[in-house]
Amino acid sequence: MPVIEVEGLRKRYGAIAAVDGVNFQVDRGEVFGMLGPNGAGKTTTVEILEGLRPRDGGTVRVLGLDPSHAARAIKARIGVQLQQVALFPDLKVPEIIELFASFYGRGGVAGGLIERLGLQERRTARVKELSGGQQQRLSVALAAVNDPELVFLDEPTTGMDPQARRNLWGVVEQFKSEGRTVFLTTHYMEEAERLCDRVAVMDHGRIIALDAPGRLVRAHFNEDAIEFAQCDGLSTDDLRPLPEVTSAALEGDRFAVFSARVPETMAALLDLARARKLPLEDLRVRHATLEDVFLKLTGRTLRD
Amino acid sequence: MKAYLHLTLSYFRGFVRDRAALFWTLAFPLLFVTIFGLIFGRELGGEFELGLVVQDRSPQAGVVAQVLRAFPAFKLTEDGLERELADLREGRRRAVLVVPDGFGASLATAAPRPVTVHYDASQQSNAQVVLPVIYRAVDLADRTLTRSAPLVRVELQTLQTERLRSIDFIIPGIVAMSVMQLGIFGAVNMVSLRERRVLRRLAATPVPRVTVVAADVTLRLGLTLVQTAILVSVARAAFGVNVTGNLLVLAGVVLLGVLAFLALGFLIAAFARTEQGFFPIAQVPMFIMMFMSGIFFPIEFVPEWVRPIINAFPLTFLGDAVRQVMVGGAPLFPLALDLGVLAAFLAVFFVGAVRLFRWE
Repeated sequence: MPVIEVEGLRKRYGAIAAVDGVNFQVDRGEVFGMLGPNGAGKTTTVEILEGLRPRDGGTVRVLGLDPSHAARAIKARIGVQLQQVALFPDLKVPEIIELFASFYGRGGVAGGLIERLGLQERRTARVKELSGGQQQRLSVALAAVNDPELVFLDEPTTGMDPQARRNLWGVVEQFKSEGRTVFLTTHYMEEAERLCDRVAVMDHGRIIALDAPGRLVRAHFNEDAIEFAQCDGLSTDDLRPLPEVTSAALEGDRFAVFSARVPETMAALLDLARARKLPLEDLRVRHATLEDVFLKLTGRTLRD
Repeated sequence: MKAYLHLTLSYFRGFVRDRAALFWTLAFPLLFVTIFGLIFGRELGGEFELGLVVQDRSPQAGVVAQVLRAFPAFKLTEDGLERELADLREGRRRAVLVVPDGFGASLATAAPRPVTVHYDASQQSNAQVVLPVIYRAVDLADRTLTRSAPLVRVELQTLQTERLRSIDFIIPGIVAMSVMQLGIFGAVNMVSLRERRVLRRLAATPVPRVTVVAADVTLRLGLTLVQTAILVSVARAAFGVNVTGNLLVLAGVVLLGVLAFLALGFLIAAFARTEQGFFPIAQVPMFIMMFMSGIFFPIEFVPEWVRPIINAFPLTFLGDAVRQVMVGGAPLFPLALDLGVLAAFLAVFFVGAVRLFRWE
């Protein structure tokens, strides 16, 4: 039986449809990602699943229960990390863990989690003395305090430095290896590619693609990308006629030329560069990513 | 239950680690008591400093001096006429009593020489309070000399066990004011938790909202008892204000009072989005009530037409209840009415707060 089942989910705020007919299922033990820019409807979806927000339409089952009627029972079995929570500013780390454990009548953070999240040397610090990234990590630790079957992490790595982000990825992998189901929202495609078994790409309140990250990329790109810094006098129209090129785009300040056969395209590109004296700075070849998928599907980048 | 106890403990920890909250709850009311105590506590309380100058060496003068020296309400100094008069002029003596030369010898004659009392007539309290006491003392000396027992005695029976001084009036007012402050400002904790999205995080746990609020109310009730106990103890130790009523009844009165004001605080919190926005709004009813509820002055001092306004504020009834329970002061209303009105305010504020308070 799936851990989460969502069908035709809708939520409006005034004239805006924040969630506009969403369908998906999450299976036990998988890490399910929801990828999309800010305002895509990810947080609204998550908060409906967590029992924090009523929905306007559709059916929802979390652990087999409807959040509209059995929110308390769901809350006892899920772990939650919300965006922008400051927690109790004057409590110390062990005190706040003890407090949250008392809400479930059991528990305490699973062994090693405090260490894994790099909080052990801040045990005597008050929450308000922790850095933003440390507070975020504590918030993730609290999501595991009741030994939950299902963990919701809403943009857990926002505001973290790369090291802390990597540690947190380790924690998500630990959750998975412990048999927990993880529902993760993010707007970092590396994060989704690295962690998620399946990813739902969300935009304007709808899911526009849903599959395993690798399959999503292969479904939209049979090709690799040749990338280099933007240079004067060159447009995507100059690049599209090159041999084996399927598409070309300007992603931020870099050109991305998608090619079915990189060597042939590359040879022609180098000829073009020599003839027009183009610098082709920072030239590299890479596989297509979820970011490319998102750009292809929406015409926008994830950070827009 | 476990969640409730842990939440209460957590709020308590937050409270004691927040210096500003500690100051406003405990230090500020104490400051009030000290200031008012220094202003009003001395005026009518304790002993009167009097100068005594005995210029006569007769046995009769000796008896008069002895009676005055033994009189309980006096603190006598005998530094000679000039020194004593100088001290009187500088306000260090309430009055100077002079038993003149030839006093003893004159008593047997038709024109006995009087005991002279020098005093500062510009000091109102002297004329009203000190002089009658001096008359009584001299009268006692007179009867000691003539060895006559008074036939008609007056026994004073006040409402209070002791004379009520200004400070006795004001301390219950400060207790009531502090309870109001603790109640109204008490709601700021929930505003702050809401602003920091902690309430939202708590909503994602199985803990019911009522537990989240009940723990906060528990802390405020506890703080009220501690605050009242400190104020009463300090007023008693430093300024001799005695609690004549039942302490348990007093505790009940302040607890009912803080519940009513907490509910008002939560009602105000419904209109303030942020902690910073809460204080200016909360201060309006607080200051109006501080000065309009007769907690610092007897209600007889205000014109007749203002009184209905005063009777519209909950603090008036809390102040009246605390005063009559604490020092047995003359009540404006029967205690049951005070408590009934407070309960009614509590009910109205509570319903308003429940309807209007937003959790996010």
